[in-house]
Amino acid sequence: MKPFLHHLLASTRLSLLPVLLLIGALSGCGSSDSGLVLDLPDDLSVAAAESGTTEDAASESVTESPEAPATAAPKTLLNLEKDELKFGFIKLTDCAPIVIAREKGFFADEGLQVEVIAQPNWKTLLDNVINGELDGAHMLSGQPIAATIGFGTKAHVITAFTMDLNGNGITVSNSVWEQMQQHDENLKSPTPKHPITADALKPIVQEKLASGEKLQMGMVFPVSTHNYELRYWLAAAGINPGFYTKTDIGGRTDAEVELSVTPPPMMPATLEAGNIQGYCVGEPWNQQAVAKGIGVPVTTNYDIWKNNPEKVFGVTKKWADENPNTHLAVVKALIRAGQWLDETNAAGDLINREEAARILSRPDYVGADYDVIKNSMTGFFFFQKTDKRPMPDFNVFFKYHCTYPWYSDGVWFLTQMRRWGQITEPKPAEWYDETAKQVYRPDIYKQAARMLVSEGLLAESDVPWETDGYKEPTSDFIDGVLYDGHDPIGYLNSHKIGNKD
Amino acid sequence: MKYKLIKAIDVAGLTFLTPVVRLCYGEEPKKQLQEIGRFIVVPLIAFAVFVGLWGAIAPRHKTKSGEVPTPLVVWDAASSIWRFHDREADKEDAYGLSGKTREQKLAIVEKRLSQLEPLETLANQHVKEANAARTTSVEELVGPILTQYEKLDAEFSAAQTEREAALKRDAGLLASADRAAREAYLQRVRDHAAKTEAEREQLKELKAEETAIRAEKFPQLVNALKAQTRIAEERQYLGKLSEQLGHGNRTLKLDEQMAQLRADQVTFLSAEGDAAFMLAQRIVRQEARIQKTSESTYAKPWTLPMQIYRSLACVFAGFLIGSAIAIPIGVLCGLSKTFMAAMTPFIALFKPVSPIVWLPIALIIVGGFIPDPDKHWLIDFLANLPLLGWMKINPAFIASAITVALCSLWATMTNTALGVASIDKDHLNVARVLRLGFKDRLFKIVIPSSLPLIFAGLRISLGVGWMVLIAAELLSSSEGIGKFVWDQFNNGASDSFAKMMVVVFVVGLIGLVLDRIMIVFQRLVSFDDAAAAI
Repeated sequence: MKPFLHHLLASTRLSLLPVLLLIGALSGCGSSDSGLVLDLPDDLSVAAAESGTTEDAASESVTESPEAPATAAPKTLLNLEKDELKFGFIKLTDCAPIVIAREKGFFADEGLQVEVIAQPNWKTLLDNVINGELDGAHMLSGQPIAATIGFGTKAHVITAFTMDLNGNGITVSNSVWEQMQQHDENLKSPTPKHPITADALKPIVQEKLASGEKLQMGMVFPVSTHNYELRYWLAAAGINPGFYTKTDIGGRTDAEVELSVTPPPMMPATLEAGNIQGYCVGEPWNQQAVAKGIGVPVTTNYDIWKNNPEKVFGVTKKWADENPNTHLAVVKALIRAGQWLDETNAAGDLINREEAARILSRPDYVGADYDVIKNSMTGFFFFQKTDKRPMPDFNVFFKYHCTYPWYSDGVWFLTQMRRWGQITEPKPAEWYDETAKQVYRPDIYKQAARMLVSEGLLAESDVPWETDGYKEPTSDFIDGVLYDGHDPIGYLNSHKIGNKD
Repeated sequence: MKYKLIKAIDVAGLTFLTPVVRLCYGEEPKKQLQEIGRFIVVPLIAFAVFVGLWGAIAPRHKTKSGEVPTPLVVWDAASSIWRFHDREADKEDAYGLSGKTREQKLAIVEKRLSQLEPLETLANQHVKEANAARTTSVEELVGPILTQYEKLDAEFSAAQTEREAALKRDAGLLASADRAAREAYLQRVRDHAAKTEAEREQLKELKAEETAIRAEKFPQLVNALKAQTRIAEERQYLGKLSEQLGHGNRTLKLDEQMAQLRADQVTFLSAEGDAAFMLAQRIVRQEARIQKTSESTYAKPWTLPMQIYRSLACVFAGFLIGSAIAIPIGVLCGLSKTFMAAMTPFIALFKPVSPIVWLPIALIIVGGFIPDPDKHWLIDFLANLPLLGWMKINPAFIASAITVALCSLWATMTNTALGVASIDKDHLNVARVLRLGFKDRLFKIVIPSSLPLIFAGLRISLGVGWMVLIAAELLSSSEGIGKFVWDQFNNGASDSFAKMMVVVFVVGLIGLVLDRIMIVFQRLVSFDDAAAAI
């Protein structure tokens, strides 16, 4: 405590100095120049000598210590509006960039002290960001968009950083899996061919419907990637997952399979209790089902849409406007965390993921067993206890320009909201573009990236500087439909099930 | 002395200690020993039996989330909770260390880190070996089952196709009018379906057997993993600690920023025009930054001991709010039958409402009053209080406290009303004779003579409040014991179950202590020698 006080005293004394100097300089202007030049250095040298004596050995060790960043690359120190921040997250492995930026000191390097707080569900998380309880959070891609257009809680939320690609899976209960195997001989093999479509699920759905029941499946939030992926997977096999309408905000109109919301960490328990027969959720909750032997992951979202955008880092527009420099510092730290997570050795193996899994398994972060988290984080996925497959791109945190906030990602989520009726009115193509631009803020991202490049911490080629914000059109979907972000209406009309404009 | 001690013990409600004191003074040794046997030894034995039974029964009940933890596992979990707290406190300290202490500590940490390295390699080796051993042993056990499964599967599907083929063939031979033959045929199809089902069941059983073997715990692997985890966790902790002592250290950061400031100041002296303005601006900014850095603290995560402290603060906040409402209303109810009649419907209506209903309502209302918690004067004020400041009191905390108040005030209110209503008429008559004013009557007669019952009510209220609080925290995710339990449940790790059991004991113990404290108060204000309820 004592040396700390010394520092405080020293700093306050020093802070008075420039004021005195300025006054001296102003008054000096009137008399003579030589007085100014003579007076000030004397003052300064005295002050420097004084502060030198108040500081102990620590200051000397700085100059000797090789770790001192002062000797490293020049750092653009931002003038932070706020340096103690609170970020929320949900217990999922894809919160890794935030956790890693904290634990590996990337936030500290920017002068930030960040508290990372687990939230019970996505709704509470969003509410806490909007009401200012949290400064920012690990969010579902659909959340900033939905909040901005006013589906659910209305608030202008923006994102300047995409946290990861892929990382979800669809798990069904053991009994549904057995029935699927009966309907499709190919699934009986201990290592069935992938991707597994919902075709084998269709007869089960129909049997249930015939007996007046509906298959129940869980997803994590109405505007979550999981909801859209699960719907996509079902609809690709001709199963109607139900529509949202003005009066039906549960999304069950015409449904053949009913989807309901369950917070991610609760999924395995809800499946085990029999309230749902399957779910779509992020990791580690699919691997947890395998570890506990309560369900079988049938597919990952990598199979549904290769390299699909997943979580984003969201803040309110108000917060971003009030704390522009802090926001930049945060994005800088997050980019570095993503880079650290995707670091590979010469052979192309991810080298930091085991350490990341170890950190994430701490009880105040994801908290699941290290072994369970490790599977997917190190690029493997257990589909059954005997079916372990390499999936190097199961979680992508940096590759493929993934951290860049792409407008085309925003447009895709908007098309899904329209497809399933969360957006009740038809909208023109320009609206999609404008809305995406309100939420996704590559300008902030690029500014942060530019600083990192000039500090030598990021390669020039790691950022798509010249893009218009739209990814190349792709048909890497499970049903092979082409998606071009410039043509949302055409994309909507190319689906069999779903609203068409 | 003896009687003083006994009296103190009596007031504290620790009557089971009385025979010990009496025995020490040599009073009727035989009787005292008997009493000790009954009130101390028997409960201890009962507890020991409970722990023994628990230890014996727990491992037999397997859930999919893991085994029910034995007392030993729970003890382990408790120490791991404590370790986490300890380590986080260490990191916090490390951030603020400076000078020689910092260097010494850093040296210790580095040394321990280098010691850990070979240990870690060894642990990894062990895990690998255990894994291999497990795989071979599992394969050995599973192998015959699998071969049998495959054999049966092939047999059954061959038999099924054969039966189906026969049935199809015979379908062609059915004469159009032969009802009996048709019925017999139908029966055959039924039998076929039943048989197929039975065969499927048989296969399912085999599969279940295989799954059970695969799920079986392998002690060697479990131990190896445990050792590996412990080492890896320690390494993680030391790594962060060395960062906090090294380049992440506050003092070092400050020094670096100071050096920069000084350099800027020197250049500023010779700068002119625009450059001078820029430099001056930079200097001012740097000063602000130094100020912030010197005030910064390590963002420490919540640990159970901190959460317990916060829960206690929350329950007392709620308890005080509740009592402040309940006692005045209770007194008025006791004094005036009319007022009581007016209040009865509200008491009857709101008393049974569950905390789960009050909480969201309280959250919404508090949220309405405090739209921007970061800048609200109340939150700001609370954050600067000496003992409460670090707890980061937020709207969720206030809502939880209000929920506690709403659920716990009824016992105090009804007890107060009863206490006031049952004051000895003679006392009131004396007051009337002395022509005491309302104020005097209230503070000299009414409240003093109803205090024992008021405190009995308060004691129940505190107990209810403590129970309600855990649920409220769990729902509002306000940091505290409830949040800890919820986080553990969400973690679903192998030790989560045991950690929740630790909380059971912690909550129980704190509840017990709170209750005892209230008993002491109750005794202190009682005139009569009524025995305290246990």
